[in-house]
Order: sequence, then structure tokens, then C-alpha cells
Amino acid sequence: MTFEQHGENRFVVPIGPQHPALKEPGHFEFVVDGEIVTGASVRLGYVHRGIEKGAEDRTWTQNLYLMERICGICSHIHATAFVQGVEKLAGVEAPPRARAIREIFAELERIHSHMLWLGVAAHEGGFDALFMYSWRDREVVMDMLEMLSGNRVHYSANLIGGVKYDLTPEMTDKIREGLNYLEERLAHYLDVVNNDETFIGRTRGIGTMTREQAQLLGAVGPTARASNFAYDVRVDAPYAAYAEFPVEMVVAQEGDLHARFVVRILETMESIRVLRRIFENMPESELVTRVPRRIPAGETISRVEAPRGELFYFIASGGGEKPERVKVRTPSLCNWGTVITLAVGHKLADMPMILAGIDPCFSCNDRLVMVKRNRQDPQVWTWADLRNYGIEYYR
Amino acid sequence: MSTLEEILQKAENLLQPFAQSSNRPESNRLDVYLSRENLIPAVKALVEARWGYLSTITGIDRPAAVLEEGQTSEQGEIEVLYSFCSGAAIVSLRVRVPYADAVLPSICPLIPSATLGERELMEMFGVKVEGTPDTSRLILADSWPEGVYPLRKSFVPAARFSGGAEGG
Amino acid sequence: MGLEVSKPWQQVLDKIRTWARVNSPWAIHFNSGSCNGCDIEILATLTPRYDVERFGIKLQGSPRHADVLICTGPVSLQSKDRLLRIYWQMPEPKFVIAVGSCGLSGGVFHGCYNIVHGIDEVLPVDVFVPGCPPRPEGIIYGVAVLLEALKSGKRPERTMTVELPTGFEMPQAEVRQ
Repeated sequence: MTFEQHGENRFVVPIGPQHPALKEPGHFEFVVDGEIVTGASVRLGYVHRGIEKGAEDRTWTQNLYLMERICGICSHIHATAFVQGVEKLAGVEAPPRARAIREIFAELERIHSHMLWLGVAAHEGGFDALFMYSWRDREVVMDMLEMLSGNRVHYSANLIGGVKYDLTPEMTDKIREGLNYLEERLAHYLDVVNNDETFIGRTRGIGTMTREQAQLLGAVGPTARASNFAYDVRVDAPYAAYAEFPVEMVVAQEGDLHARFVVRILETMESIRVLRRIFENMPESELVTRVPRRIPAGETISRVEAPRGELFYFIASGGGEKPERVKVRTPSLCNWGTVITLAVGHKLADMPMILAGIDPCFSCNDRLVMVKRNRQDPQVWTWADLRNYGIEYYR
Repeated sequence: MSTLEEILQKAENLLQPFAQSSNRPESNRLDVYLSRENLIPAVKALVEARWGYLSTITGIDRPAAVLEEGQTSEQGEIEVLYSFCSGAAIVSLRVRVPYADAVLPSICPLIPSATLGERELMEMFGVKVEGTPDTSRLILADSWPEGVYPLRKSFVPAARFSGGAEGG
Repeated sequence: MGLEVSKPWQQVLDKIRTWARVNSPWAIHFNSGSCNGCDIEILATLTPRYDVERFGIKLQGSPRHADVLICTGPVSLQSKDRLLRIYWQMPEPKFVIAVGSCGLSGGVFHGCYNIVHGIDEVLPVDVFVPGCPPRPEGIIYGVAVLLEALKSGKRPERTMTVELPTGFEMPQAEVRQ
């Protein structure tokens, strides 16, 4: 960990990168003047593996497994973005049933991701009961994903040209039961979020971002939609089966941390609704269409809506068995810019919740936020220290 | 509500004064090829017309010839795509710079959040982005050697994956 | 679709309960660059369905209080120093569990330029838990294997020389009874 001294009385407080709450390594530095954050910056790299380069050494099919593992939480959506791009280059379209199954996995993944986030963000604020309950309920989704694919994480549902797994009526019945249970639980969480005084005290009016800021700073996903910046790739540029089974965008006006919680819970409920609609009208077709081993030369851009926001893949083929270039721009990269700006003017005690509020996926981008503090003695804080500081501050 | 075609046409009109050439590689995409001098005016045109948002800055290494393993080519260019999105439409401003003069102006004065993409471009491809507010490394370690740009084709990782279609 | 683990697993978990109550190991978790898949399954072991804490296994944040380091990831170049720092701050006797195929060999990232490939390139690993990711039950089983070793008084045989992190001073020797 590094220290820097800037002028008189300005200190860098490095936080992390190893901390028990945020499970991924990341480095934060905040510049603080007394209690107030006056500057923040980001540094990433702890999870950098060299995947874009590695993609150039792997065949198109091998890359499916690599792209999936960019992120353990949103693995399916990465594979989907990749596979859709490759299919475009190959000039094929996955059959209707395959596209519907891709959407099913994507929405189940969104549910699991938002519930995971709900627990982690709650934990950041010291609401450990909410963490335990939401993760317990999340196990229901993990069971569904395991039933469909054989794995709880990294379902590997996609093939170039379609999907591997099919749904049976027994599976859809079980999933429906699970969805009913989840819907009840989510209604309860929404109630807590909207009515619990302690929770509201730590989230209302905190980390507010206006629509203009969201647009200028390039915010994406639920973070943007909570600031009334209404865009969602599933609605604006439908892919998979979203044209046949559309989702309604969830948008909030307040733009604060509280709104981000509400947007994600409502989105999860919308995912449940769209899943039910798909089950009622599952298209019948084969599961995969043939794709050549060598993908024709060309370039394509593939965009999807990951749980955290817009995911952008640029894929170039030279006509061979391996890609020439795969560029992955993940949503968290966009949202980090918002944190750096949002942090300024806020109390240090609000930092854990603000950071958690954008649902940072360190695996997608690995970033350090730097905070510099005006104090006599520079202090090294672990993430647990910062988190506890926030909790104690609001007690 | 404008159609996809109207949205793309609007961008094409805005960018026409700056473009060397342009084409539609896919039904929802417009690629506009520019010289580096026209990058800022082109970005300004999109920003002032509030056309979409900057989604991604993509670097592509274009070595002059097919390289043998480990060889470095003196010739060659880096191509950079600045991709803006509006609804389903994607407009990419494409600029090429030669290795010998791999310099681009920063678009951060117009779009502050571009700093992260520009930092990545600098460390991965060795492009110098003039005027960018933060030149520190974004994702490579401080101990990573200077002058070694991982996403250039000439960089060969030590233990590279070889389980490809050729076998091994 | 219940919230309980299956019966065979329940028996494994009951066995662990006895061992853990004897030893009460405190664990620390570190992600050396993984996709987070293994980490969320490790975190899942704390949640009500698996509830590993009831067996006395405690996940906490300080290396100085840890008996066991549970590590995931293919060890990115940047995380290597952090990983070594944590290891050297842990008092003896200490054990390392590598979770996930990345921790074994680099996993799917084999050949990528920014990783070391396998936690055992950096630290002496006592238990490997394969999987991508391993299930929470598998992770708990890996911990159980380790606890069996602890219970029988085994001490790790180490032939590996572990690097020191940069700028690190060797801590005072702490002997735990």
C-alpha cells in the first residue's frame, strides 16, 4: 500500500485491496478534508488476467469458456454477447427456442445477481440480517440454474449457433414455484427498503446523481436508470428473444442510493414476470444451428444488458479459427467514473454504501478508488475499518 | 420517435465535414474514418448535438506484415475506435496512427469519463494521448516493464496457450 | 426445491462439526484475481443453508488472527505481493487452501500474460479444492480434510521457499500452543 503526501495536511488513505466484505481485490484512495471527501481516484489491475490477449490464442468455441469466466456473477451474459457477435459474423441466427432459453438464463442470472448485490450492499451498511436473508433466498435461483445446466455458477448454456440445454415441463413447473416464492420475498425486501428508518437514513439523499451527470459521466445500467436516464439495451436494441418477450424498463427519479436499491428490486420482479411470460409461450424449434469452424472475416459490435448495465463486445475475425481481436468493455468500467465524481462532497462514512450502490463487479474491471485525507497522521484503513466507520457514524 | 435509419443519417450528416470516408458495416452501424486532426471536431459535433453517448474506446493493432513469433515490426499502425451509441445505433469514429507517431489528442475536455478508456489505450497499445488528465496505469502493475504493450501483436506471452485446433 | 442440504452431505457436515469444535480455526479469504465465482461460493458457505460458522469455522479479516488462508484465483501479477504479505503476517502454524481450478493451474486462463498460474507457485498449498467453481459443499469438504490434519496434530511439511513481499520486515515469531 502506498502513501502520498500532498501539500500540507493532505493525506492519502489507501483502502484495501484485501478486505473481507467486498470479496474482490481492489484499491481505493480517497482525499478527505476532515470528514468530507474532496477527491477520489481509481486504480485497477488486481483482477487483470490478460483475457483479451488470451482470446487471440483460442478457437471460437474455446473462447466461449474463457469469456464466461470474465465474471462469475454475470458469466452467461458475457458468453451471450460473445456468441451473438460471432453468429452475426457467421451470418446465422440462433433458432427461436435457443434465443428464448438464452433470455431465460439471462433473466435468472439477473435475479441472482441483483439478490447477491442486495445482500452485499446491505452488509456494507451493517444490515447483516438482510444479507443473510437475501442470500438464503438466492439459493432458490442457484438451484434453478443448477437444475437447468448442472452447475450453480458458469452454466455454459451457450453454443455458437444456439444453446446446449433444453427445458422440460417438469423444470418449468419447479421454476414457477421458485419464482412465486421469490416474488413474495422480494416484496418483503422492497418493504424493508422503503420503510426501515435506519436503512432510509443511510440511503436517502446519499450519492445523488442527476440525469445530466449520469449522461455526462457515462453511467449505465440500474445506476443510470435510478437517475432517470432511461436506457436499457434489452429495450433499445433487443437481442436474444427480447423482441418477442420484452421487458419494461424500471426508472426512478431521485437518483440517490435509495433509488438504486428500489430500481434493482423492481427489476428483479420484472425479470420474474418476463420469465413467466416466456414459459407460457415457449417457442418450439431445434436448439442449435450449424456454424462453420472458420468464421468469415469481418468486424462486429455486440451489446447486451448485463445486470450492471451495458456490456460491449467488439469482435474482429480474420477468416480463421481464432479471433483477431476481442475487446470487452464491461459496465462497471463506465460506472466507476460516476463514483469518482459522486464521492466528492460526501462524508467518508458514506463511501462504502456509495461504492456498493453502483454494484461494482471487480472481475469485470478491477479498479482502485483513491481517497486522500487532510489529517495530521496518515492512516491505513482496511475495508472493514471503512465499513465499520460508516456503520458507527450513523448509529 | 426516429427510426434507426434516421438516427444513423443524423450522425452521418453531423460527421460528414470531418470524414475521410464512411460506410455501414452492419445495419445498425456507421463507421466514420477520420484523420487525427479531425477527431476533436467530430466528437464535438456529436456531443453538441447530444447524439448518443460514448460507449467504448477500442484499440486495434495493425502491424504492417504478418509477424513471425517474437518479431517486432517497425511499420504498422494502431487503429482506435471511439464508439458512440444511441438506441440501437452505433457510430464509430475510426482513427489510425503509425507506430512511429502514435499520438492522439484527448477527448476528455469534451467527455470527462473518457479518461479510463484513454488510460487503457496508453498502456495496452502504447498510444500517447495528449492532454489526458491522468496518465497513471489503470490495469497493468507498476512493475510491468515500460515500452511493453500487451495488446500489440508483437507481444508474445511467456506461457501462451497452445491447446488450439492445431493440437498440442 | 428446499433450503436444506441433502442427507449424505448432512453426514459429512456433522463430522466436521466435531472436528471444528475441537479446533475452531479462523480463516481468512483472499481473491488473487479470480472471476469471483469461487468467492461467492465461499461466501455462500456462511449463509443459512450451509452455515459453516456453526461448526466453529470463522471467516474474518485479519491475517494476524488466521490459522487458514482460503485463496482463490490464478494469482495476477499485482495481487502476488498482497498474497505474500498476508501469508507472512499469519502466525504459525498456518495452512493454505487453494480453491478452484484457477488456483490449481491457472485454470481457463492458462497462457494469459498477467497471471502466475496456480497458487502453489507462490505459496505452499495444503489442500486443493478443484472445480470451476467448486460447490460450497466441496469447499467445506476441503476445509474438513484440513481439519482432520489439524486434529491429528499434523504439521505441514514445507520444502518450498516462500518469497518475501516488497519492503516487508519479518514479523516476530509467534508460537501458538
